[in-house]
Amino acid sequence: MSSLLDMRVIHKRYLTKDNLIRTSLMIVSLPIFIAFWWILALYFQGQNFYYLPTPLEVWDALVQAWTQDPATRLSLLANVYASLVRFLLGFLLALGLAAPLGLLLGYSRYANALAFPVIELLRPIPPIAWVPFLLLAASFFWGPILTIFIGVFFPVLSNVIFGVRSVDPLIIDAAKTQGANRWQVFSKVMFPSSIPYMMAGVKIGLGVGWMCIVAAEMLASQGGGVGAIIVGGQTVGRYDIMFAGMVTVAVLGILTLLIGSLIERRVKKWMGME
Amino acid sequence: MDGNGIILSIKNLVKAFPKDDTEMIAVSGFALDVKDGEFICLLGPSGCGKTTVLRIIAGLQSATSGELTLKGKPITGPGSDRGMVFQEFGLFPWRSVKKNVEFGLEVQGVDETKKNEISKRFIDLVGLSGFERSHPNQLSGGMKQRVGIARALASNPEILLMDEPFGALDAQTRNLMQKELLRIWQETKKTVIFVTHSVDEAVFLADRIVVMTGRPGKIKEIYTVTLPRPRDRGHPDFINLRKKILDELEQQRQGT
Ligand SMILES: Nc1ncnc2c1ncn2[C@@H]1O[C@H](COP(=O)(O)OP(=O)(O)O)[C@@H](O)[C@H]1O
Ligand SMILES: [Mg+2]
Repeated sequence: MSSLLDMRVIHKRYLTKDNLIRTSLMIVSLPIFIAFWWILALYFQGQNFYYLPTPLEVWDALVQAWTQDPATRLSLLANVYASLVRFLLGFLLALGLAAPLGLLLGYSRYANALAFPVIELLRPIPPIAWVPFLLLAASFFWGPILTIFIGVFFPVLSNVIFGVRSVDPLIIDAAKTQGANRWQVFSKVMFPSSIPYMMAGVKIGLGVGWMCIVAAEMLASQGGGVGAIIVGGQTVGRYDIMFAGMVTVAVLGILTLLIGSLIERRVKKWMGME
Repeated sequence: MDGNGIILSIKNLVKAFPKDDTEMIAVSGFALDVKDGEFICLLGPSGCGKTTVLRIIAGLQSATSGELTLKGKPITGPGSDRGMVFQEFGLFPWRSVKKNVEFGLEVQGVDETKKNEISKRFIDLVGLSGFERSHPNQLSGGMKQRVGIARALASNPEILLMDEPFGALDAQTRNLMQKELLRIWQETKKTVIFVTHSVDEAVFLADRIVVMTGRPGKIKEIYTVTLPRPRDRGHPDFINLRKKILDELEQQRQGT
């Protein structure tokens, strides 16, 4: 009943010609892609090149990996779980450090002057360039986690700094005329108005985080992971397994981004900024 | 307060801003004594220094020289004894109407029951009961400025500073808000300094109209408005006074 109502509302709002065309195109987009992929795979296989598996073969590999992937000898869920744990640990660590540091650097011009050259020096180093060092210096457990940490840290940091600097000076004046002291201006005005920027940094970090994790796990990992599926597929010469790993990463990436957007919208709504 | 009922005293206020190695004198020799409970309008063309004067009274900017005292105490910085209402509202977008109004109380550490009581009183006063939980982005311009007024009043300031508070509103809402402000002023008996560049608005609202001229900003003339309230915009005295001030501003404009 309620879904029927929803549909009517959606139709009323979106049923313009332009929207109809765009929605239809979006619906057929994936099937077209898969069809092309399939045709291409069949064509290559007809020429005796077996590098590109068909979507069906990848699906079969996924089904096989679900119970036990031949390279890591783990179930798909165990591999996903291993990556997720790393992802979450590295992500939360980065957020927990980058957010307060960003608030400080956005607020204090002196602190920023002190930190700016170091940050600008470290930022351009691709997170993946740290992996060999981290795997040696840290451990097979902490290495990938610290890689994600580095990947997420910088986007969150720059967005929080930018957020603090973008606070509307008018509401700072308003707070001052209401008797707020410096700490209260910071905690009650600058901090809350920087939260949406922090969320934007988090969303960028979510994307970068998956890149880092897969890269790190491909170099080395302990206890599986989605990156390990891909490399494992390579070592046993199974292209379908490699693709199964890639599809898994894509799905995980989309899911985390969706969750991130959902949280962002919730926060904005809760803050009355929607 | 000095025995003579002067609440705010400004003596020889000068404000200079640095500009290309030299200085730009924005306000010069501004002097004014404001009586307790008085409604003052600061009137003048844009750029003549009205906002600067108001922000210095608020303590948001410092004077280059001059002496400002509120109830005999020198003004050194912003404080809750002066409430400010801004043209662009300056509300906290993530706070509900109630939480916006309670900001000053929260900052002063007022306890929960007292906070609820005071915010309810001022939300009622500005006619926003029922909108306590709304956020600024859900309100019209007029309603936003009602929140701005309630917020400024809630911390019980000695004086209310208003910088073109109705400048962002459409004409109809503006006239309504002028009436509402007079009602609130009469109920709370606050001293008000109201900045505007509208002669009509000044004549409608003020006990005294302080006309400023620009470059550098100084006081040209002070008119005492004795027309009884509520004022009738069609009354000959209203029209005459408005014309007189308009003529003076026009003269000024041609002089420069
Ligand atoms: N922070 C500032 N720095 C430099 N010049 C300023 C500043 N604030 C105001 N002014 C200048 O001072 C003059 C008076 O400005 P203002 O007080 O805003 O006028 P009004 O409110 O009457 O329109 C203007 O010429 C303006 O450019
Ligand atoms: Mg102004």
